[in-house]
Amino acid sequence: MAENMKQQQQEPDICSRTTLPGSKRLLLTLYVFFSFIIGAPFFLKSRAIYRAPLPFKSIESLDNHLSMNPLLFPCHFHTVFLGFGQENQNMGFAQELEFLMFQKMQHISGSDRVCGGCGDNYSVSVTVDYISGCFQSGALENEVSWPCGSLDLSELEQILASDAAFDEYIESFLQRNGGLLKYRGNAYRVVVVNREMENSYRTVIGKHRHAWIYGKISEGDAVSLAAQLFVNFFMNGGIGEGLFSKGKGEFMPIAADGSVVLSFSLLNANPNDWVFDWDFRKIDEIFLSPVVKALAPLANISVESQILYHTPKASYSYWDENLASYIFSTNDLPFFVNSNEWYLDTSVGAAGQSKILHFVVYVPSADECPLVLQLPDGTISSTNGFMSPTWGGIIVWNPTSCSTDSRSARLSRHTFSSQDLVQVMEVFMGQLRLLFGLKSYTSYDVDIQNIVASEKGFAEWELDVLVRHHAAYNLFSSATTLQSLSKLVQSLPSMIVMDEIGKQVKLSLEAANLAENNASLGMYDAAEVSSREARVWAEAAFFHPSIMSILYFPFEHHVAIYSPFFVPVAMHVFIAAFKETMRYRREREKYWAWKNQAPAL
Amino acid sequence: MEGRKYEAKKITKFSHLFLYLLFFSANASFESSFSFSSSSTNMHTNNWAVLVCTSRFWFNYRHMANTLSLYRTVKRLGIPDERIILMLADDMACNTRNSYPAQVFNNENHQLNLYGDNVEVDYRGYEVTVENFLRVLTGRHETAVPRSKRLLSDEGSHILLYMTGHGGDEFLKFQDSEEIQSQDLADAIEQMREKGRFKELLIMVDTCQAATLFSRLYSPGVLAIGSSLKGENSYSHHLDSDVGVSVVDRFTFYTLAFFERLNMYDNASLSSLFNSYNPNLLMSTAYYRMDLYKRPLDQVPVTNFFGSVMEMTHVDSAYHAFSGKTKYETPHIQMPSSDQSTDQAEQQELRTSDASIETKYSVKEVKPGNNHLMGQWKALLDMVEDTDAFVNYGLLAMALVAVISSWVLS
Repeated sequence: MAENMKQQQQEPDICSRTTLPGSKRLLLTLYVFFSFIIGAPFFLKSRAIYRAPLPFKSIESLDNHLSMNPLLFPCHFHTVFLGFGQENQNMGFAQELEFLMFQKMQHISGSDRVCGGCGDNYSVSVTVDYISGCFQSGALENEVSWPCGSLDLSELEQILASDAAFDEYIESFLQRNGGLLKYRGNAYRVVVVNREMENSYRTVIGKHRHAWIYGKISEGDAVSLAAQLFVNFFMNGGIGEGLFSKGKGEFMPIAADGSVVLSFSLLNANPNDWVFDWDFRKIDEIFLSPVVKALAPLANISVESQILYHTPKASYSYWDENLASYIFSTNDLPFFVNSNEWYLDTSVGAAGQSKILHFVVYVPSADECPLVLQLPDGTISSTNGFMSPTWGGIIVWNPTSCSTDSRSARLSRHTFSSQDLVQVMEVFMGQLRLLFGLKSYTSYDVDIQNIVASEKGFAEWELDVLVRHHAAYNLFSSATTLQSLSKLVQSLPSMIVMDEIGKQVKLSLEAANLAENNASLGMYDAAEVSSREARVWAEAAFFHPSIMSILYFPFEHHVAIYSPFFVPVAMHVFIAAFKETMRYRREREKYWAWKNQAPAL
Repeated sequence: MEGRKYEAKKITKFSHLFLYLLFFSANASFESSFSFSSSSTNMHTNNWAVLVCTSRFWFNYRHMANTLSLYRTVKRLGIPDERIILMLADDMACNTRNSYPAQVFNNENHQLNLYGDNVEVDYRGYEVTVENFLRVLTGRHETAVPRSKRLLSDEGSHILLYMTGHGGDEFLKFQDSEEIQSQDLADAIEQMREKGRFKELLIMVDTCQAATLFSRLYSPGVLAIGSSLKGENSYSHHLDSDVGVSVVDRFTFYTLAFFERLNMYDNASLSSLFNSYNPNLLMSTAYYRMDLYKRPLDQVPVTNFFGSVMEMTHVDSAYHAFSGKTKYETPHIQMPSSDQSTDQAEQQELRTSDASIETKYSVKEVKPGNNHLMGQWKALLDMVEDTDAFVNYGLLAMALVAVISSWVLS
C-alpha cells in the first residue's frame, strides 16, 4: 500500500497505473444491481391480481345484436270462412282474401317492431270452406290446417247460445280433426260463419287461441274485422295504446329469478266489532291453483296468506247521507295503505330478491261501515277495489250488516261464504291481470261483443303475449346486465374477478343463444325458460358479493405505497453500480495506457 | 469529460421518462366512464329512504339525533319501514352517559322523544361500515342477508339518501375508523343507475365540506344538496345543557322545521325547500347540484322523495271467470287524477360536469387575521390553478434533487 503511494507520487503521469483495478467492489455493486433487476418481474407477479378472463367481445356482440334485432317470435294467423256464397269457388278468391288480410294487418300494426311481439315475422293463411269443397291458401298450402266440410253449420245454432260452450266446441273440434298442427310459433284462428238469416254479426274471442264472427257479414268486413282481432288482441294482448304498449316486459312483477310470491292478507280493522276469517286452503285449491299452473311457464309462483288484526287505515272518510255510507274518493287512494301498522311484508318464504305482490282484503270497523269508493264522476265503484302497479291490490269488503247491536255476533268469527269468495277472488283476478299489464275486464272496443273469461285467470292467447314480452325483456335485461358487468370489470383493473363469475357469464351467454334459437323456432315456452335462465345467471354474476367497488386506487396511491420501499434504495444502488462501473473502466484504461507505454520504457 | 457529458444526458433522459410516467398517471386517474340514458320513460312506483349516521361515541349525539329526526319525518309522511334502510351506531339511547335513558332528543325542550315507538334500525353498531353501505347501494349482498336489510328498489323508485357525520374534502368518515371517498360514492351510484335501481336520487349530506362529497357524481337523475361548501364547516344548532352535548345540526334543524309545517296532503316543491335555507342562520352555504337532474325543481313536490304517494289505479271491473257469467257491464276507464310523476320522454344529453365542477364552487375566503404567513401561503396556492400538475412537477423536482445530491455526495 505504501509502495503504491510512493510509486504514484513519483509518477509524473496520473493517467496510468501498474495493476489491474480491483474487481470486488464492481462485482458487489453489479450483483446487487442485477438482483434488483431480476427480482422485479417476480415481485410484480406476486402483486398481480387474479382476474378470471371474461368474454368481453361476446358480451359486446350480444348486446349490439339485441339492440338492433329485438327478439321476435313467429306467429301464424289463420282465417276460416264458412257459409259464404258459392259464386267464388276458386283458389284465386282465397288468395285474394289472404292478400287483403295481410295488407290490412300491415296497415293496422304499422311497421314498428315491438320488442317481444310478432314483429313482421308473421304468416297469414286463409281457408274458404264450402260444403262441397274448400280452398286453402297461405304459407302452408300443403298442410291440412282446417278439416274441410266437417263442421255442420246447422248444429251451431244451438251451441251458440252460450259463448263458452261454443268455444269448447271449436276447441275440441280442432283437436279431434288435427287442426292444431305444429306451426312455427303458435297459430291463431278466426272462424267467420256467415248466416244470411241473421240481422247483424257478433264477434267473440275465446279463451284458447281462436275467435269467431257469427252472423250476416260480407267478406270485406270480415277481413277487416279479423285483421283487427289478430293485431289488437292476438298480437298485442288487447292492451292497445297505453303505458305498457312499448317495452311492457319491464313492468311485469316478476323477480329476476323468475319467481313471484302472492301474499294474501285479510285485515280486520277493529276486531272488537267483528272478526272475519277465510278458509285459505279451499281458496288455494279452487281458485288459485289453476292460475298458478297456467302461469307456470311465465313465473314460478308461490302463494301465502295471513290474517291481521287491529289494522286501521291511514286516510279519512266522510259520511254521505244520500248513499248511506262512508265515502272515500280516489284522492284518498294514495294514502290508504297505512304502512306503519299494516305489516304486510313479513313473508318467510320470500328470498332476498323475490318480488312480492300483496293482495289485501280490508274489513272496515263499525264506525266506518259501509265504506265505499266514489269515483270522480260521482258513481260508486262496483268492485270497491284498487291496485298499485308492482305492489299489489286492495279490496274493501263491507260486512252484510253494519250494525253491532248483536253482541253475540261480535264474538263469533265470520267466515267468508263461497259466494263472497267468488266475488272477492274475481276482483283479485282482475287486479292480478292489471298487475301483469292486461286489462281486468273485457271488451273496450264496441266491435267486440264478448271475450270469454278463463277460470285460469288468463286466456291462452293472453299468456302467449305475456310469455313473448317477458322472454324478450329477460333477454334484453341479461344483455344489458352483462354489458354493465364487463364495463365495470374493465374500469377497475385492480379488482379481483373470481372464477365463479366467469362461469356464470359463460352460462348466461349460452342460455341467451339458446333462447334466441328457441324463439326463432317458435317454441314460446322453451324460449321463456332459457331467457329466464340467461337472466338469472347474468344477475348472479353482476350481483356477486365479491365485486366491491371500493377499489379505486389512483396511480398516486401505488406510487405512495411502494416508493418509500424502493426509491431511496434503488436510487443508491443504481448510482453506485453506475459509478463503480465508470470507475472500473477508467482505472482499466489507465492500466492499459501504462501497459502500452511500458514497452517503450 | 466524455464521461460527465454522458452522465448529464442520462439524467435528462431519465427525467423525461419519469415526467412521462407522471403525466400518464395524472391522466389515468381522471378516467371515468360516461353513459347516456334517459330515466324519464319509467313510471314512479315507490319511494325509498337510506338514512346513514356515520358517527359513534357520545359526543356525536347530534348526528344520531339528526338521522332519527329525519327517519321520523319520512315515516310520518308515509314511507313505511320496509322501504327505509336506517344505519345507526345506536349507542346513544342506552349510553351510560345518557341522563335520559332510552330517550334521544333533538331539541332542548325535550318535547319529542325520537327513540320512542317503532324505530327499526337495520344496520346498527359496528355493522355500519363503508362496505355494508356500498353493498346496500349496489345490492351485492350475500344470499343470507334478509330482505329488511336490502335496498329492493326498482327502476321506478325515488330514493332519498341522507348522510350525516364528520366529513372533509371529498371524503366522509365512517365510525372513526374508515372513510368513503367521493369517487367511490359516485361509482356506486353509477352502478345503481346501470342496473336500474333508481329513477331519481336525492342526496342530502350534513357534514363539514359536504358539497365535496358529491362533486364527483356523473350519473343522470341525481340531485344533491350539501350543508356546506368546500372549506366551510357545518355547525350544530344548540347545546342541551341537561343532556350535555349538542343535540342537532343546523342544516337538519332547518330541514325539519320546513317539514313540520307540511302534512301528507301538501305538495310544496323542492325548490321551496332548497330556498328555505338561510346562509346566515346556517353559518354555512347550503349548496345543491342540479346539473344531473332533468326536471325543474319547482315542479318536483317534496313528497316525491320524502313521502310515499303510492300510485293507485281503480279496478274497473272484476274478471268474471269464476261465476260463469257471460254478460259484462259497460266499462268506464279511470286514469289516476293526480299524475305528478309521469315525465315526458325528453332525451337530453348529459353535460360533462368536469368543467362545471371547477367553476361552480371556488374556495371561499376563510376569515382572515389568523396568520399573515398563512394568508400569503393561501394566496400562493390560489395562484396555482392546476394543483395536480403542480404536485407532479414538485415530485419530479424532489426526485431530481435527491438523485443529483446522492450522485454528487457518493
